[in-house]
Amino acid sequence: MGYTITEKILARAAGLATAKAGDEIMAKPDFVLAYDFPGYTDVIFKQLKDDFGIEQIAEPERFGIFIDHMVPATSAKEEELHIGTRDWCSKNNVALYERKGIGHQVASEVGFATPGAFVVHFDGHISQLGTFGTLAMGIRRNVLEAFAMERVAIKVPQTTRVDLVGTLQPGVMARDVFHHLVRVLGSASCRFQVLEIGGPAASALSTDSLQTITGLAMFTGALTAIVNPDAPRLEYALPRARKQLEPVSSDEDAHYAARHTIDLTSLEPIIVIPPSPANTRDLKDYLGLDVQTGYLGSCVSGRLEDLRMAAQVLEGKKIAPGFALHVVPTSQAIMAEAAREGLLATLVEAGAFVSSSSCDYCFGRIATMAAGQRAVSTGTLNVRGRMGSPDSEIFLCNAAVVAASALEGKITDPRPYLKV
Amino acid sequence: MTLKNLHGRVAFIFEEIDFDVDQIVGVTNMKTTDIVELTKAAMQSYDKDFAKDVRPGDLIIGNHNFGYGHPHYPPMKAMRHLGISGVIAESFSPGYWRGEISMGFPQIPCPGILNFVSRWDEIEVDWESSLLHNLTQGTKISFEPLPHADFAMLQAGGLENYLKKRFYKSTAIGEKS
Repeated sequence: MGYTITEKILARAAGLATAKAGDEIMAKPDFVLAYDFPGYTDVIFKQLKDDFGIEQIAEPERFGIFIDHMVPATSAKEEELHIGTRDWCSKNNVALYERKGIGHQVASEVGFATPGAFVVHFDGHISQLGTFGTLAMGIRRNVLEAFAMERVAIKVPQTTRVDLVGTLQPGVMARDVFHHLVRVLGSASCRFQVLEIGGPAASALSTDSLQTITGLAMFTGALTAIVNPDAPRLEYALPRARKQLEPVSSDEDAHYAARHTIDLTSLEPIIVIPPSPANTRDLKDYLGLDVQTGYLGSCVSGRLEDLRMAAQVLEGKKIAPGFALHVVPTSQAIMAEAAREGLLATLVEAGAFVSSSSCDYCFGRIATMAAGQRAVSTGTLNVRGRMGSPDSEIFLCNAAVVAASALEGKITDPRPYLKV
Repeated sequence: MTLKNLHGRVAFIFEEIDFDVDQIVGVTNMKTTDIVELTKAAMQSYDKDFAKDVRPGDLIIGNHNFGYGHPHYPPMKAMRHLGISGVIAESFSPGYWRGEISMGFPQIPCPGILNFVSRWDEIEVDWESSLLHNLTQGTKISFEPLPHADFAMLQAGGLENYLKKRFYKSTAIGEKS
């Protein structure tokens, strides 16, 4: 019996010859990541000193900190948090990435998505490093364990394997693939497991698309998602890799808790209605519903593929009067590339409000919605109050749907706007 | 060190699948840090007399994938302040599970629990035998034992104490972890 990529990565991280799902092991994360946020990093930095007597962190090259929330700061208190983070990183010689973009994307750009590496963060959307064959888990407050100790206690998870086959139709995007997985497999289908994505259609997907799908893994109940890294992913990740590791893949005869094949050919756009990421519906049943605002961005969407699609829908047109369309590229590098491609000009001329990369739109810190307002969004989540008032509503969908809905001020099918 | 068995009544049953725990205090109260205010807000949408009727040691029951969504810590802080000693559910969402275990708050996965208890039944969670006793109905059901590290965290009273124990033990014997 062979091993899954997850079992192989965790065995190596634990210094064991082999590890099987169900084993309780002590694994050393190759990288420990976090973004500064009140109650997380400030508390961790204090606890390290006060509770553990750690003045200087060991192996600082294993750590990476991002300042991507509360960027730019809107109060002195927020800026003080950032100052504390800068000071700690500087004193500990830990790499800090500030105003470079949303950390989960920047992490890949700067090489933390090392194929074969085991990574922990407190935030679960770090799962998107799985695109490159990196096992990256969000462990909430337990990330303190990885800051204070060399190893973290972990039960080797089972894996659910999903093979994607077929071809996506125009106007159907990675968001739809993921929401479809939640719809057909269930919101608890991969509970405490790893979601392994493979199959011919996965190899044919862009890296942007795979980052979208793996980044949302938590809404299937999964601890993370991972892809056996293929040539295009390795070509991106290996030159950037921060550690020399042999990329690994699942064996042919690896044991899976479940195996599913999903055909993408007949997939249609999906909309996820409030107030739960489990509420996946057919877009066609919600067409015409009034919306006042649109958000195209976040750690899972807002990459070039999304921006190109939105630009294609919006090119030469104007968004509906009074509609607020916020476009936030996932990283500064992506924004620069979008500028070079002329995408930003197209979006701005259509009436979009384009901002530098920040996490703040996704949780309503800025572009905050009032009661009764409704958004179409490529953000991560649609729970009550996520983007402002608890009486506002968030409909999650792909970038093309956001763009088309911006044109009409109603939930709109983007396909008639696409040049096929 | 063992963990004291939980003994109390079924204070509430959340029947909703994928239950979003933030609803216990309401999204508007998620940034409330004052425990008294938080406690006042707790359960208002479910049972206005909850705070009056609940007793220290009581437990709450959940359905499948309890804690799905984007769980925050204030709801269960309020529930603990009201005396709730643990949560028993058909199954848990991993993010919620990790968060509450790290707070030292017992979470017990028990497939079949919804049909096993009625509200206000007196129950006991026996860690040693992994059995849940319904003392009102005179029945028992087994629950899923916790992973060792999670159980150790509950025994220590939460993440910080658990880590401190490991940390100072390791420095005493000259190891890194």
